[in-house]
Amino acid sequence: MSATGIGAAVRRKEDQRFITGTGNYTSDISRPGEVRAYFVRSPHAHATIKKVDTKAAEKMPGVVAVLTGADLAGDKIGGLICGWAVSSKDGSPMKAGAHPAIAVDKVRCVGDQVALVLAETLGQARDAAEKVKVEYGVLPSVVDPAKTQASGAPQIHDVAPNNTIYDWHLGDKAATDAAFASAKHVTKLDIVNNRLVPNAMEPRAAIAEYDQGNDSLTLWNTSQNPHVARLVISAFIGMAPEHKLRVIAPDVGGGFGSKIFIYPEEVVALWACAAREAAGEMGLGPFGGLSHRCAWPRSRHACGACDRRQP
Amino acid sequence: MATVNITVNGKSHSVDVSPETLLVELIREKLRLTGTHVGCDTSQCGACVVHVDSAAVKSCTMLAVSADGAKVTTIEGLASGAGLHPMQAAFREHHGLQCGFCTPGMIMSAVDMVNRKGNELDERTIREELEGNICRCTGYHNIVKAVGAGARAMKGGGKTARAAE
Repeated sequence: MSATGIGAAVRRKEDQRFITGTGNYTSDISRPGEVRAYFVRSPHAHATIKKVDTKAAEKMPGVVAVLTGADLAGDKIGGLICGWAVSSKDGSPMKAGAHPAIAVDKVRCVGDQVALVLAETLGQARDAAEKVKVEYGVLPSVVDPAKTQASGAPQIHDVAPNNTIYDWHLGDKAATDAAFASAKHVTKLDIVNNRLVPNAMEPRAAIAEYDQGNDSLTLWNTSQNPHVARLVISAFIGMAPEHKLRVIAPDVGGGFGSKIFIYPEEVVALWACAAREAAGEMGLGPFGGLSHRCAWPRSRHACGACDRRQP
Repeated sequence: MATVNITVNGKSHSVDVSPETLLVELIREKLRLTGTHVGCDTSQCGACVVHVDSAAVKSCTMLAVSADGAKVTTIEGLASGAGLHPMQAAFREHHGLQCGFCTPGMIMSAVDMVNRKGNELDERTIREELEGNICRCTGYHNIVKAVGAGARAMKGGGKTARAAE
């Protein structure tokens, strides 16, 4: 290698642990006494939630708690935010609908979280999730972004009429119009931004832990930016003050941008530890074992994937 | 509950598992050998490949009870002693990994490939044989280079460093 290293291949320091199977990804972590979580998810793209009956699930073996969107709302845990506000050309702010971490009265995509089952093992949580009875009022859905603003299209969020969150313009319209008006040839074409599916090999995962002695929370998650996760989960979602929340991103098995976002599951994992009632039910134990293939259908753009899994 | 008697990386274990437990769950959760990864649960990604009685197996596709009496090698047991197995060394040398999540499965499949196909592997053979292992970071090019180099490096060193498996 040259003195500067420029032009030389440099061996990576992290490879040693990855090639010997001694890396430390989120789902490799196990905390003493942790309970496992499994989400009940919507099979419908668009539906009202009429009723969530958790009684049968609560009686299943190993079940610690079954929590719903109403429980989450009752604890005043805020919804997920959009981190980049865009104003419309008339100056009005974007009309982003609420995005609770567990749906309350309506689901807006296949896979929307509807209830959380906590059990001693993942198998028990999964079995119990099948016993959660959800009564849906199925609504028409719209899955082609080009059709979302058509007359009569299903309305996804009340706050965003015509499914329009913002109408963003950039540049000098008068100058652009003049340039086109004087152009010798004008070609018109529609440009479709392709759907993005940044499927990293490592599914998303989260482990949350409540420390009673310090009254503080720790979250291990598959994150490309744990500092922003802490800021958002603290300041915007209201889980805990920033100095009472630690977010740890261990080895991350690929992200490609998809692990920049703050996702419902990690918020719910923290809440299940932090919420007084839930913590009481759980004996203040740590909580872990969420594991999902990432990315949700982002109804606001054609950006996102519906490929998800639970372990 | 069922009892599974299994030898993993040369060490014998007797493990009580529920009947639906997968081999990968036994390895990761009961034995805490977390180098074997789960990327898909649908037998597509290959991050969970281990050797069961010297054959590469996707351990998310095998019940733990089916491995009763088997000798299993995981990525943690591939090298003999403190050094690296030649295939591990080749992956590092040729930058055959980025995030590392698929790497244990890639290496275990690669060693199995050498065991079956020999030490001189052409690029086409390597690419075809890696059909069951998915990587999303590297674009495969350096993985293919690493497998070819690792295969040659294994020459004369026995089929695997753990020839006794």
